[in-house]
Amino acid sequence: MAHQLTTCTYCGVGCGLYLETTDNQVIGAYPSVSHPTNQGRICVRGWHVHEIASSPERLKKPLLRKKGELQEVSWDEAFAFVATRLKQLREHYGPDSIAFLNSPRCSNEDAYLLQKFARAVIGTNNVDQGSSVFCNNSIDVLLEMTGVPAASTSVADLGESDVIVVDGVDLARRLPTIGGAVIRAKLRGARLIVIGTRRHRVAESADLFLQIRPGTEVTLYGAMAKVILDRGLANLAFIKTRCRNYEDFLRLVREYDLLQAAEVCGVSAEMIERAAVTYASARAACVLYSTSMEARSRETIRAVVNLVLLTGKLGRPGAGILALNEQNNLQGVCDLGMLPDRLPGYQPVTDSAARARLEALWKAELPAAPGLRAASLLTNGHNRTVKALWMCHYDPASAAGVEEARGLFEDFKLVVSQQLFITDAARYADVVLPTTAYGEEQVSFTSTERRIQLAQKVVEPVSGLMPVWQQLTRVASLLGANWNYASAAEVMDEIGQAVPFYSGASYENLAREYGRQWPCTKDQPLGTRYLFADSNGSKFNFAPVAKPPRVSTAAEYPFQLFFGSSLYYWTQDVLVRHSETLKREYRILWLDYPDGFVEINSEDAKGLGLRDGQKITLRTTAGSAEATARVTSEVRSGTVFVPYFLREVEKKILPGIGDRSQLVPVRVEKVAA
Amino acid sequence: MKARVLAKTDVLAIVDLLRKQGYEVLAPFCGRGRDTYFDTVTDANRDRIQLHLPNPYYPPKRFVFPHIERLMKAERSNGDLRIEPTYEAPKRAIFGIRSCDVAGIYHLDRFFLGREFSDIYYEKRRRNLLLVNLVCTDPERDIGKECFCMCADTGPAARDHFDLQLMDLGDEFMAVAGTPSGEALLANSAFRKGTEEHVAKRRQILEHLRTHFESTMTSWFSAAVRCVSQGKVTEKTWEEIGQRCLECGGCTYVCPACTCFTVTDRQVSAGEVERVRVWDSCALGGFTRMAGGFNPRRAVHDRRNRRFFRKLSHYFIQRELSMACVGCGRCAAVCHGDIGMPTVVEMIRRATAQAEAR
Amino acid sequence: MSAATQNVYLPKPAVLEQVLPEIPEVKTYYWHFEDLEEQQAFHKFRPGQFAQISLFGVGEFPASLPSSPGEDETFFTIRKVGSCTSALDELRPGQKFAVRGPYGNGFPMEDYYGHDLVFVAGGIGMIPLRSCIVYALQHRKHYDRIQIFYGAKTPQELMYMPNLREWEKSAGVECYLTVDRPDANWKGHVGVVGSLFTQPGVSVAVDNSTAFVCGPPVMFRFVIRDLLAMGYEERNIVSTLERYMKCGVGKCGHCCIGMAYVCVDGPVFTYEQIKKLGEEI
Repeated sequence: MAHQLTTCTYCGVGCGLYLETTDNQVIGAYPSVSHPTNQGRICVRGWHVHEIASSPERLKKPLLRKKGELQEVSWDEAFAFVATRLKQLREHYGPDSIAFLNSPRCSNEDAYLLQKFARAVIGTNNVDQGSSVFCNNSIDVLLEMTGVPAASTSVADLGESDVIVVDGVDLARRLPTIGGAVIRAKLRGARLIVIGTRRHRVAESADLFLQIRPGTEVTLYGAMAKVILDRGLANLAFIKTRCRNYEDFLRLVREYDLLQAAEVCGVSAEMIERAAVTYASARAACVLYSTSMEARSRETIRAVVNLVLLTGKLGRPGAGILALNEQNNLQGVCDLGMLPDRLPGYQPVTDSAARARLEALWKAELPAAPGLRAASLLTNGHNRTVKALWMCHYDPASAAGVEEARGLFEDFKLVVSQQLFITDAARYADVVLPTTAYGEEQVSFTSTERRIQLAQKVVEPVSGLMPVWQQLTRVASLLGANWNYASAAEVMDEIGQAVPFYSGASYENLAREYGRQWPCTKDQPLGTRYLFADSNGSKFNFAPVAKPPRVSTAAEYPFQLFFGSSLYYWTQDVLVRHSETLKREYRILWLDYPDGFVEINSEDAKGLGLRDGQKITLRTTAGSAEATARVTSEVRSGTVFVPYFLREVEKKILPGIGDRSQLVPVRVEKVAA
Repeated sequence: MKARVLAKTDVLAIVDLLRKQGYEVLAPFCGRGRDTYFDTVTDANRDRIQLHLPNPYYPPKRFVFPHIERLMKAERSNGDLRIEPTYEAPKRAIFGIRSCDVAGIYHLDRFFLGREFSDIYYEKRRRNLLLVNLVCTDPERDIGKECFCMCADTGPAARDHFDLQLMDLGDEFMAVAGTPSGEALLANSAFRKGTEEHVAKRRQILEHLRTHFESTMTSWFSAAVRCVSQGKVTEKTWEEIGQRCLECGGCTYVCPACTCFTVTDRQVSAGEVERVRVWDSCALGGFTRMAGGFNPRRAVHDRRNRRFFRKLSHYFIQRELSMACVGCGRCAAVCHGDIGMPTVVEMIRRATAQAEAR
Repeated sequence: MSAATQNVYLPKPAVLEQVLPEIPEVKTYYWHFEDLEEQQAFHKFRPGQFAQISLFGVGEFPASLPSSPGEDETFFTIRKVGSCTSALDELRPGQKFAVRGPYGNGFPMEDYYGHDLVFVAGGIGMIPLRSCIVYALQHRKHYDRIQIFYGAKTPQELMYMPNLREWEKSAGVECYLTVDRPDANWKGHVGVVGSLFTQPGVSVAVDNSTAFVCGPPVMFRFVIRDLLAMGYEERNIVSTLERYMKCGVGKCGHCCIGMAYVCVDGPVFTYEQIKKLGEEI
C-alpha cells in the first residue's frame, strides 16, 4: 500500500488529494487536509477518481483503420502511419491543412508540445483548446484591462473577503470546492451577493440574490457603477495612480440609469443599489465569474472588471477577481499557447519579436498568420481547407457549439485521436492512440487560481501505454524534428524558458509544497498568491461599455431562450461515463428526461398549463423545435434554457438567427397529447 | 482485564512482533503538512511510524470495507455462465487505531454481521484483523478541534472492542488486552506488570484530557437524539441544513460507521465481467433513484434528514445496539457547507430552544 | 460469526425457458435454476417476496415473484424500464442469467385465515398480487370472499387476462375490471380503479377482511383514501413497496426508508406501517 499526494484532474479548482495504491492498482482517494485550496474537502468527482484509474474498460493498444475497421496494430506501425500521412498532406495541401485540437483537460506538457508540434514541426497555427468560445472572451478582456488573463486572487483568500459576488456560475454543481469556500465565508460573516438568471444552491445562502433577466449583466454593472460614483464610493486614489481611460469610462457610465436598469434587469432598484453599496464599501471584495459561462460576451466581462477597478478591489488578500475555469487545465493549455492567435505566454502570433524568441528556442521557423478556431475548423462546410485533424483527448460530445461526431469527420483525410476510451469521436478516427491515464503519468496542470501542480504517477501503466507528450515526441522525431525529452520534467524545463511566468516552475520546486501559483519565476520561486500587490506595478485600463440599447420584446415571442454551454458539461464527460457513481449522479436527469430537456420556470409553466415532462414547441421567427419541458424554479421566469447537448433544438432554431451566444425571443406552446 | 506496562522505546516492538507473526501491519504516518494516513509498515518506513498525530482522515474502516472491492467474477463461454466469488482477506493488524475508529469497526460488526444476513466479504476480512488501539492523550496532536468522542461516549480511551490498547503515560505505555489475541501479545518480554501507580496515572491523564475537547456544542448530543427520534426537528431546520449540502458524499465516505455501497459490473475482457462494490452515499441524488422515474428523496434536505435520522434515531441505535456516530469529527472537517454532526446538533439545539421560547 | 456463512451476494446461474408478451413493454419470463437443488430450495418462497436478477455486465435488479409457490413454473413479469431489464429482454430461451433469493418478508398469508381478501391493483401492481391470488385460490378453504379490483390505462394494459378469466369462474371470487381509456371493443367499466367500489352491485368486503393494494403512487393514495372512508382499519390494508436496491439483504442501504429496510423488513407493509415510515410513497 502507498499514499501519494497528487492533484485532482476533474475541474479547474485543482484540489489536492491522496491516491492509495496497492499491487499497481489505485484503490482509494481522499482529500488532503493541508492543501490550501481544498483544505480537506473534495467533491463527488474526486471521491470517485480511483474508479476511472482502475477501469478495466480502457484502450490498451493503438488502433488503425484498415478496410474500414479499426484494428489493433503495433506502436511503430501507428506512429509511422501518422507521420507518413501528415507529411503527404502537408506537401500536398500545405501546413494549414492540418489542425490540432486538445481538450482543456490535457496536461501542461501535452498542451505545450502539441502546439509546438503544430507550429514548429508542421508549421501551422491551427491549434485550439476545444472548449467553449467564451473563455477566449475572458482571456482577451483580462489581457486588455489588467494585463493578466487569469484569476487575480486565490480560493483560500475567499476566507479573507468580507463581500463576495458570485456572477452567473452555479458553483455547487460546477466547482463545488469553491462553492463550499463561498458558503463558509458567508457563515463566518462575509456578505454574499449572487447575480445571475438561475437560482442555485449557493444562491440560497445569499444576502442579496439579483435574479436578473439573461443578457442584462452589462446594464446591471453599469448601473452599479453609477450608484458607486453618485454615492462617492469610487476609489479615486487607486484610479488616479493605477488606471488609465477613466474619463472615457466616466462619460459612458453617466448614461446608465438606476430605475431604467431595474426595469431592464428585472430586479428592484433597491437591490441594485444595495449590491453596489455593499460591494463598494467592502474592505476586501472578491468577484467570481465563470470564463465558460453561457452567453458571456466581452462587454459583460468588461463591465465587471470596470467595477473592480472603480473601487480598487484588487491586489489585497481577499480582494480581486476569480475568473473561474471549469475544466481542470483550461488555464494551463491557454498559458501554453493552445490558441490559434497566441503563442505560449499569450504573445500574439503576429508579434515578430515574440516569434523570434521562440524560433531561437525551438530552432524552427514559425508561421505568422493566426490559425482557425475549433468551431470554425470543424464546421466550415464542405469547402474546408483543413484535411487532417489531430484530437488530443478532445471529444466533440462535450464541447458546445460543435455538432455530434457522426458526419463531422467524413471530409477529413486523416483523423488522429488520442484517448483513454473509445469515444464517439474516436470511433470515426483513422488512428486511435491510447494514452496513459491519471495516476499513470507524472505531468502538471494549472488550476483556475494559477496554481501549477503535479499530478503524480502512482501506478505503472498498462504495458506499452505512454503519455501524450511522449507520443508527440515519437511522431515529431519521425518527421525529422530533434526532440529529446526524457521526462515531463524536461518538457517543463523548456516551458520555463518559453513562458517567463513559468520560469521558476521546475518539477523540483512544484513538488515541494502544493504546487506554485504563477508568476513563479527564478526570483519569486514560491509563486504568487494574489496579483497586483505592488502598488507601483503595472497600470490597469478601464474599458468603457456603452449602455446597451433597449431590446423590445415582441409580444408574440414573450420568452427569452438561451443556449447553455457548460452547465451540464460533466454529464457528457468521458471520464464521468466510466464511473458508476458519477454516471448515475451526472446523468440522473436523463432518467426523468430520456430525450433531454429544456428548462422552463415553474410559474411560467403554471401559466401555460404545462406539467413537468410534457412536450413543448419552441417557436421563433426562424423556425420551431419540439422538446421536453423540465419545469423548475431554477430558471428565471420568462426564460427558457436549452442545454448544449440538445443539438436538435439548436439545429432547428439557430440557422437564420445567429450564433449560440445570443438570446433568442421565443414562444412556448404545449404540444397536444 | 490485565494491565501491563512497557517502556516508550519498546512500543514499536509490538509492530515488529506482529510483523514476525505474519501480520501486514498498518500504522499511522505523516504526509505533507497536517496530512496523515495509515499505511503498510515495511522495513523502510518502520522508524517513521508516528504515535501522536492527527487521526488519519481516510478512515481505517476501509480495511474491512474497502472503498472499492471486487465481489465476484462471471465468465461466459459457449453459452455457459460461471460465477466465481473472489475473496481477499489478508492477515492484518491496525496499529494505533483511535478509540473512535474502534467503535466504528464495532458498529460495522454489528451492522454487517448482525441480523439475519451476514456479509461474508466483511466477515472474512474482519476475522483476520487485529486492532491495537492507541488512546488519544496528546491534546496538541491527537485531539482535533472537531473531535467529540467524549459526547459520543467512545473515547478518548475505548472501553472494549480492541484486541490490545496502548496508552501513553509519559515515559511508559500502559497496555491492556481486550481479547485473547491481545492477551497473547502481552506474553512478550517487553511488557512488565503494572502497578497501582500506573492505574492512578492513567485515571489522572484521562481526567485532565476532558478539558481539551473544544467541541462543547455537541454536549447536546443526546437531546438531539431525542428530537430526531421524536420527529421534533422542523422541516425548516432540515431545509437550512440542505441548503448548505453540496452533495459531495464526503461525510459518508469519511464516516467510520457509514455502510452504504453500490454495486457495479465492469467488463474485464470479452467474456469476463467483474462485479465490484464501491462506497455510496445517501447525500447523492441518485442514491434512491429508481429506474422508471420516481425518486422518493428528490429534495436535498430530505436526503440530509435521512442521514441524521439513520444515525441519531433511537430506533436504529437499538436495532444495531450501537450508534452510527462515533464522535471522530471527520464529517465536520470534510463538509463544504459546515454541516457535519457537531454543527447539525447545534442547529437542532438552537431551533428547539427557539421553538420552546415561543 | 457462524462457521459457514453463505455468500448472500452470489447469484446462481439460471436458464431462460420461454418469454411471453404480457402487455406492451411487459413480458413474462419463465426460467429455472441450472441446479435442481437450488430450484427446490428457492421454490419455498412466500407470496410477496422478491428475487435479485443478474445480467452480468449490466447489473442486478429486484423483481417481485408473480408466481405462487404452489405453481410448478417459476417466472418473472417485468417491464422494460432500464438497462438491466432491457438486457434480460435481449436473452433468448436457453440462454443464461443469474438469480438469487427469495428475499423480503412476503405476505403473512396465514394471518389472514378466515378473512375476506380484497385485491386492488393498478397497472403492473398486479404482478406481486398475482402470487397472493393464486396462493389464496390454492388454499381456498382458509379464506372467505375473494374480490379482485383491477384497473389499467387501456384494455391492452390489463395483465394476466387468461388468469383473471379463470379466477372469475371460481366460486366466491368476484372480479371487477376498469380502464381509463377504453377502445372500441371495451364493454366494461371506465374510470379509475376506486370508482369500481361504488358501482351498483358491488359491495366491498370491509369487516374481517384484508385489502391488498398495489399500483402507482397516485392510484395508491386514492384507493387508500377510499378504503379508509369505507371503514378499513389501517392495519388491515397491506401493500408492497418498491425501492431502488442493490443487495436485497439489508446491507447496501439504498432502500432504507424511515425506520425500515424495504428489502428485509418489507417489501410487504401494512398501511399503518407505511404511514410511520414518514416518506413519500
